[in-house]
Amino acid sequence: MAAIWTILKKELKAVFLSPLFYIIIFFVSLILSITFSVAVYNFAQISSNAMMSFGLSSPQQQNIHYMVFLSHLSLVNLIFIFVMPALSMRLISEEKKNRTFDLLLTSPIQSYEIMIGKFLSLVFVVLAILVVAVMYIFSAKRIFEFSLSTALVAALGIFLVGLVYSAMSLFASSLTENTMLSFFIGIVLNLGVWIIGGLSDVVDTAWLKAVLEQISLNNHLQALIEGVIRTNSLVYFLSIIALFCFLTERVIESSRWKA
Amino acid sequence: MIEVKNLCKNYGDRTAISHLNFTIEKGDVVGLLGPNGAGKSTTMKIITGFMAPTSGEALISGFDVFEHPIEVKKRIGYLPETPPVYLDMTVIDYLNFVADLKMVDPKKKNDYIQNSLLKTQTESVQNRLIRNLSKGFKQRVGLAQALVSNPEILILDEPTVGLDPKQVAEVRQLIKDLRGHHTIILSTHILSEVQATCNKVIIIHQGQIVAQDSIENIEKLSEQKIQINLRTRKPIADATIFKNQVSDLEMTTLDDGSYKLIFKNDESLIDQVAKIVIEKNYGLLELKITKKSLEDVFLNLTYGVKN
Repeated sequence: MAAIWTILKKELKAVFLSPLFYIIIFFVSLILSITFSVAVYNFAQISSNAMMSFGLSSPQQQNIHYMVFLSHLSLVNLIFIFVMPALSMRLISEEKKNRTFDLLLTSPIQSYEIMIGKFLSLVFVVLAILVVAVMYIFSAKRIFEFSLSTALVAALGIFLVGLVYSAMSLFASSLTENTMLSFFIGIVLNLGVWIIGGLSDVVDTAWLKAVLEQISLNNHLQALIEGVIRTNSLVYFLSIIALFCFLTERVIESSRWKA
Repeated sequence: MIEVKNLCKNYGDRTAISHLNFTIEKGDVVGLLGPNGAGKSTTMKIITGFMAPTSGEALISGFDVFEHPIEVKKRIGYLPETPPVYLDMTVIDYLNFVADLKMVDPKKKNDYIQNSLLKTQTESVQNRLIRNLSKGFKQRVGLAQALVSNPEILILDEPTVGLDPKQVAEVRQLIKDLRGHHTIILSTHILSEVQATCNKVIIIHQGQIVAQDSIENIEKLSEQKIQINLRTRKPIADATIFKNQVSDLEMTTLDDGSYKLIFKNDESLIDQVAKIVIEKNYGLLELKITKKSLEDVFLNLTYGVKN
């Protein structure tokens, strides 16, 4: 336990005391501020049109959750796809390149402790970015009347997806000491979980379709985004996170056995 | 303290080390000597638990490196070839982190950190980012890192590489000062380093131990031959003048115009040489018996080069 804390503390310092993170947060909030204001403005127009019974807007179009928050959160999702690999490549890949990983491997510390410490540091990063994103939703509460809990469940969904990206990016980082390559592999993996979902539409075989639907991130995220917490989705997210964390631990452990 | 039995390591088809056997007692300062690529670093990496051997075993204080890696790693301070420093940390933060990693008792942590800063003379840079330090200082921070947990065993992989001569002398002095407090293994391909700091030497060549003994014994290894330095007023044309009285004689002319003669270890032959020089009027200026140095032994053992 102490070892996990040691690693976590060091990684948190490295992230939160470095300008890189604040530059990322700055640009994230810049983009979100622009898109959120535009979305709120558009929504206000559509709803006032609907009130004066102009046009034929669907019930979804009159719902701030669909019109504003979901596009807001899907942008956060997109940011995670690229930011998580960028922050993870430091964690193992760069340590291998700088030979500091040797220090960890010759310290009285287990591979899983290294992995957990590093993964937890990413959890905090995801949380920090999400806190910034959720503040926009809270601010909207001053103008509009809506159910906050639905929005928060949707944010929980994005949080879980962020953890999936973290686990996959960390795994990508453990694979190679080339930081650019690990960044690239991370992005490919993060995009890959979306592509798998898309495949289920193309496949005809019934059983394969069912399998692809079950392993598709999109399907499981859908329920959460609409404010429904389903146990099987939670199990899905947690097991995919656990799988990639386990793989990372195996790769770290294997470096003790390989040349 | 350290027992290595039949240790082998292959990298694919290439054999890095094969069947190494040695024992190191508590308090020894052992030099692992060999040309580049002899298998020194590989041996050290296995002892530190950094990687697994292909076969054989290594015991540290009775703990097998691969059965009880945590117990072993608690007892070892390791300086790899490249000092494992985080460039974006300050020296003091870094040592704190390493002390935590090595599970140093929190009560003793500060003392140990101060102590390692003091010993490696890095107090003056303790608040600077490691990124901004010179190579010599980075190396010293690496050394401080190995010392910070006050380990029983110190394993130093080429500790003086990349340092300027003054720093080299300082690091050697440091290793001498550490003698008695720690069991030390250091690897090097520089002989004088072993002579200056170690009491035992293990010479490795092509993955095998070619000699292991105390420094004195190693130096004695080739004392079947005697070596003298001879300086004369008139140059000696060739070695044939000695041939009748002194058998198996090798003569080489040194850069400063003196000669190096090597022949069978028989002191009466020295008389003969002197007699010949005087009788033939070469004008004897100097005749000095020189022991074969460790360097000669080393070259002999590793490359088979004869002097």
